[in-house]
Amino acid sequence: MADTGTLEQDQQLQQLRALVNKQYKYIDRKWDAVFWISAAFIVGAAANITLLLFAGDWDFWTDWKDRVWWPILTPFALVIIGSALQYIQWLAWRFPTGMTYTGICMWFLSTIGRWLQWGNFVWYPLNFVWGTTMVPAGIFADWVLMKSKSFIITSVLGSAVFAFAWWVSNYVMIAPYLQPAQWMDRVLTVSDIQGIAYIRSQTPEYLRIVEHGTLRSFLGETQYVSIVFGMTVTIAGYWIGQFIGRMLAIWPIGRFMKKW
Amino acid sequence: MAQVAEAPTLEVEAKAKRGPIDWWGGHRLTFVGPLAFIGIAAALRIWMQGNAWTIGIEAAGDSFNRTYRALFYGEIIAATVATLWWWTYLVRKGREIVDVPVPHEVEVRRIAKFWGLISTTSVELTIMASFWPNMDGAWHQTAVRDTALTPAHIPMFFLFFPMGITLTVGTYLYGRYWLPKVYGAENGFPWSFFLLISASVTEMMQVAMNEWGHSLWITEEIFAVPFHWPFVLYGWLAAGIFALWAETIIRLLAIEGEMEAQGGTVGTEAAVAS
Repeated sequence: MADTGTLEQDQQLQQLRALVNKQYKYIDRKWDAVFWISAAFIVGAAANITLLLFAGDWDFWTDWKDRVWWPILTPFALVIIGSALQYIQWLAWRFPTGMTYTGICMWFLSTIGRWLQWGNFVWYPLNFVWGTTMVPAGIFADWVLMKSKSFIITSVLGSAVFAFAWWVSNYVMIAPYLQPAQWMDRVLTVSDIQGIAYIRSQTPEYLRIVEHGTLRSFLGETQYVSIVFGMTVTIAGYWIGQFIGRMLAIWPIGRFMKKW
Repeated sequence: MAQVAEAPTLEVEAKAKRGPIDWWGGHRLTFVGPLAFIGIAAALRIWMQGNAWTIGIEAAGDSFNRTYRALFYGEIIAATVATLWWWTYLVRKGREIVDVPVPHEVEVRRIAKFWGLISTTSVELTIMASFWPNMDGAWHQTAVRDTALTPAHIPMFFLFFPMGITLTVGTYLYGRYWLPKVYGAENGFPWSFFLLISASVTEMMQVAMNEWGHSLWITEEIFAVPFHWPFVLYGWLAAGIFALWAETIIRLLAIEGEMEAQGGTVGTEAAVAS
């Protein structure tokens, strides 16, 4: 039986290989290049605008990158388009790359935005307005899909891994700005001092109070509570992304309204 | 076959390196279209660098009227004229050619051009939804929001937002008349285009709600406020663009199948190279 199974697998492999290597007159790799490069723009833009308008304020400035909202809103916003692309790329090519692809596209556009607009237009230092990255988190979520081959498992386990990996990978960047510093006889973080020194005249909070409400009672545990809650809402974000991928990108293929 | 013979009068025969799937042939629009929009965005961005903090900061000033408001009116007029000219051309020319059968080579070139239009749309929507919103956030959070016609809004809301409608509708018209086997009127109206066009139209309409919301609730700029969220929700409708790639690649595969059935023009490296 094992030999028969191996034979069938070999035949299937040969058929797939023949299909992949089939020569066409008009279909070549240029179409692939046009698709992947063109899609990179709209995918990056979709991820960027989703992040900007759902979690933007917490991601614009180092002093807004707090322990209460930043770990909840940002992975939730980031996972949405990543999830949609994960579905599209897995369905079309069996590529477990959708999240990573989205992360790279978004990083590219986000960096252009931070550099040309926040950096060179309103003159904030980039170490104050740097953007988040979802690339490491995306790699882990794609890995979960690759191993599980299941969107349900990826939504639960992958989303949790995504949110946690997002925090770890971005904490590396925020950590230097959380160091204590003395400012006018008060102990603040470096990021607080950045927020005071670089005035945002149109935002209502001149000094952001990071910890407020009953979360204070959790003392040093606040960020862990937020991270775990962030994992939970990221699962919801994952299924919003699945809806986009399934119903708005794939379902319309070849469908027409006969009467309208 | 007599019908097929009419085709060369419709479109220029391929020169060397200008074939249906050559980079500078059928795929040329993939470069030219996006670069045109990137060029316009870059020019406006460079112009903004020298004027936003001197003239753009004061919407009530005379110099603002002479520059930024003039730019606003210029954009509206240019976008309207360009849109009407292009759509009219597509409909009039399209009605002439839609029923004329064409050889596979011509149809493949049209699909490549269609992909060029999709690439252009993708880049245009990127400039509209990522490049300018970053300026918008940077400007409003740090400088001023004293009018609906702030420096960041003028290129974003009143040039690139309407051009999103121009491109999505124009791409549909091209598909409807130049690729009738995929998007012909007898097939009905494609859901893919319905979603993509809806995205560009609703984004434009959301501008009104945005300005109304800012005038009613807060003048300060917080990006994550709920009345900004529709920009995201409407933007997701643009996922329909993926269906356009899929629908036309399916047609491309069908063309290869038809050619194979007609006489084996498929299957050799030489055929690909030619």
